[in-house]
Amino acid sequence: MDEVEKIERWVILACLLLTAILGWAAWDASTQEWEGYQESYYRLALLRANSEAQKEWVRAQPVEIKQLQPKEHRSVERCITCHLAVDNPMFRDAPEPFRAHSSLLVSHPAQRFGCVVCHGGEGRAVTTLEGHGQGNIRAKPLLRGEYMQAACYSCHGEANLSPKAVAAVVRGRQLVNRYLCLGCHQIRGVGGEEGPDLSAVGSNRSWLWLYAHLARPQAIVVGSTMPVFLLSRAEVKDITIYLMTLLDSRDRFRNTPPAAEQRTKSYQGEEPKEEAKKEKENLPENAAAEKFRYDGGLLFHGAGCTMCHSIGNRGGEVGPALTYIGRKRKTEELERLLRDPEEVLPGGKMPQLYLNDEQIKTLAAYLSTLQ
Amino acid sequence: MKPPREIVQTILQEFRGSLYRIYRSIFRGSYPATLRQQLGVVVNNLVLHVHPTRVYRRSIRPAGTLGLGLICFYLFVIEWITGVYLMFYYEPSVSAAYGRIQDLDSVVTFGRVVRNVHRWGAEAMVVFVFLHMCRVFYTGAYKPPREFNWVLGVILLLLTLALSFTGYLLPWDQLSFWAVTVGTNIASYAPVLGPKFRFLLLGGDTVGSEALLRFYTLHVIAVPTVAALLINYHIWRVIKDGGLARPPQQEPQSADGVVPTFPLVVYMELLVFVVLTVGLLVVSLLFNAPLEEEANPLQPSNPSKAPWYFLGLQELVSYSAFWGGVMVPTVLTLFLLVLPYIDRGPDGVGEWFARKRLGMIILWSLLLIGIVVTILIGVYFRGPNWNFYWPWNAWPGPD
Repeated sequence: MDEVEKIERWVILACLLLTAILGWAAWDASTQEWEGYQESYYRLALLRANSEAQKEWVRAQPVEIKQLQPKEHRSVERCITCHLAVDNPMFRDAPEPFRAHSSLLVSHPAQRFGCVVCHGGEGRAVTTLEGHGQGNIRAKPLLRGEYMQAACYSCHGEANLSPKAVAAVVRGRQLVNRYLCLGCHQIRGVGGEEGPDLSAVGSNRSWLWLYAHLARPQAIVVGSTMPVFLLSRAEVKDITIYLMTLLDSRDRFRNTPPAAEQRTKSYQGEEPKEEAKKEKENLPENAAAEKFRYDGGLLFHGAGCTMCHSIGNRGGEVGPALTYIGRKRKTEELERLLRDPEEVLPGGKMPQLYLNDEQIKTLAAYLSTLQ
Repeated sequence: MKPPREIVQTILQEFRGSLYRIYRSIFRGSYPATLRQQLGVVVNNLVLHVHPTRVYRRSIRPAGTLGLGLICFYLFVIEWITGVYLMFYYEPSVSAAYGRIQDLDSVVTFGRVVRNVHRWGAEAMVVFVFLHMCRVFYTGAYKPPREFNWVLGVILLLLTLALSFTGYLLPWDQLSFWAVTVGTNIASYAPVLGPKFRFLLLGGDTVGSEALLRFYTLHVIAVPTVAALLINYHIWRVIKDGGLARPPQQEPQSADGVVPTFPLVVYMELLVFVVLTVGLLVVSLLFNAPLEEEANPLQPSNPSKAPWYFLGLQELVSYSAFWGGVMVPTVLTLFLLVLPYIDRGPDGVGEWFARKRLGMIILWSLLLIGIVVTILIGVYFRGPNWNFYWPWNAWPGPD
């Protein structure tokens, strides 16, 4: 029976080990980050309590996961598991995660709207890392600072908000216009078909992704043909904020028309515009639209010429280098070429750019300066 | 009036007596102490009766089988149990599935660890079923009279892959969505039937709500039921085919070569189970099952990779859809199915790497190397646009 005893001993040892591991699993499941936050909060609340009744109330609070199920959209949000003080006025000056929410909470009751629709993030998670969308560029990171304008704008549109509250969105839209993004990309049926449709890009990409991609497209999407626009950080930020307002119908959360007596007066003193008009408002001006006051250099870089052509050692290699194009071609020749490339260079790769006369003139004038 | 000591003794006696009666009522007899009882218990106990009453001593050497078949069986049981736990929380609909997985990972008690065990157990099962097959090959254990049990084993391998693949879609994150899109695309390369099979599997032309429902049903009831039945048949055939394969000249002549199944073998099997469970739990506590952001049919991940066990095929598909998607998997499966009917010689049965089977062993090893190398290339050397990257070269991209 020696053999049997030996194996018995191993079985007992293994079972002890299993018990220990199960204990570890139980400990692991029972020690949660949010429990620590809740305990700290109740301790602080006890210190700040004014009356015995308040203290009683604090003592009676259980440590548990708290969640919101906003009435306006189907989701579960557990942000308040850690952010316990959002509706506690005594915590107005407390540091996060226990700061009370600003007065905006009154007009945006959390029971109705939840947190994520304004703040971004991952509502179901109960750890800082996952809830705030950190550590993964494709997760939904929190919207902070000016980025929150995208959220305000998505629901209220431009007309209902003060110009200051949508300044970044408007700047971003102007930049999208200036850099002729719609030359390649489409937004709700307007624009080119060269690049991906951007109609719902705010739903499909995180702002972190958009930011990184705008700064250097090829670093994010391998083999991307999107030109590097050499944008400043502020420009990248503004465009990103604008793009975050382009949501698909699932995420687009339109403010339901409020009751007549509560109707928010728009800052221009107008009635809030209709849905369709709001949509259109958010579109940048058409690429071929009037009002081009930007110089040819900006146009050159904006229209994507550098995708194929180079100046100096910068730019693409598909088309001929344009470093000295002003020596080779007359301005009129360039204008004709830009108007209809197929006519001047039949069978060539140069695409029809659909520029208007003014743009063609400006661009040709710029090109003839390259000597 | 009795003295208190006697009363205590009487109570203890009664207690022991009732425990004993309960034990007898469950196990239909007293604890088997004598050899005769020990042989009897294996026949009379429902769980133990799949064993023979005695086994050859050489059958229970750890180096003989490495316990691989047993581990596969245990993994199936563990998957079953953890799977039922996950089923309580899961909902196979496009709008809810991902949120349910997030809930499992964040707020369900033991949800994360159970999901981890289920995930890593599934990956382990694919590995161990494959290793088990390699063991059977290298010990020549598929030769007559065990040919058909090998065929059953090949079907079980395919069912294991089917179980793993159908489960892959259920979290409904980007990883699972695009892996299943790529995986079912590989299936569609077969002429005529391929696209039809893909349509049948997905309930449409793309992965969507129908596909999720079908994969779910296949994963939680259809495939497991068939697999459970076949596993029973597979184990039953092991005994009916004469136990583990052994060289003909090594038939034990005396009783010295055999040992009663109870208690030694039962304990050994128990030990394997406990050690396996411990290992799986430790891995699951240390490493989380992957979960990317919610599936988005408009944003393909780049690279989109099939589950790792199909990455060898995907690697071949990147050279030729016909060879990778049709020829190689078909020929490989047919080869496995007919192998025991072609390679019937009595040489090397029950012996690791027998010299006389050198040709077959080299053939199998080359196949093995081919499969492992293509999978490794697919997993570690392929980046965006299926371009080749050394593992130490960072992919272009944010992470």
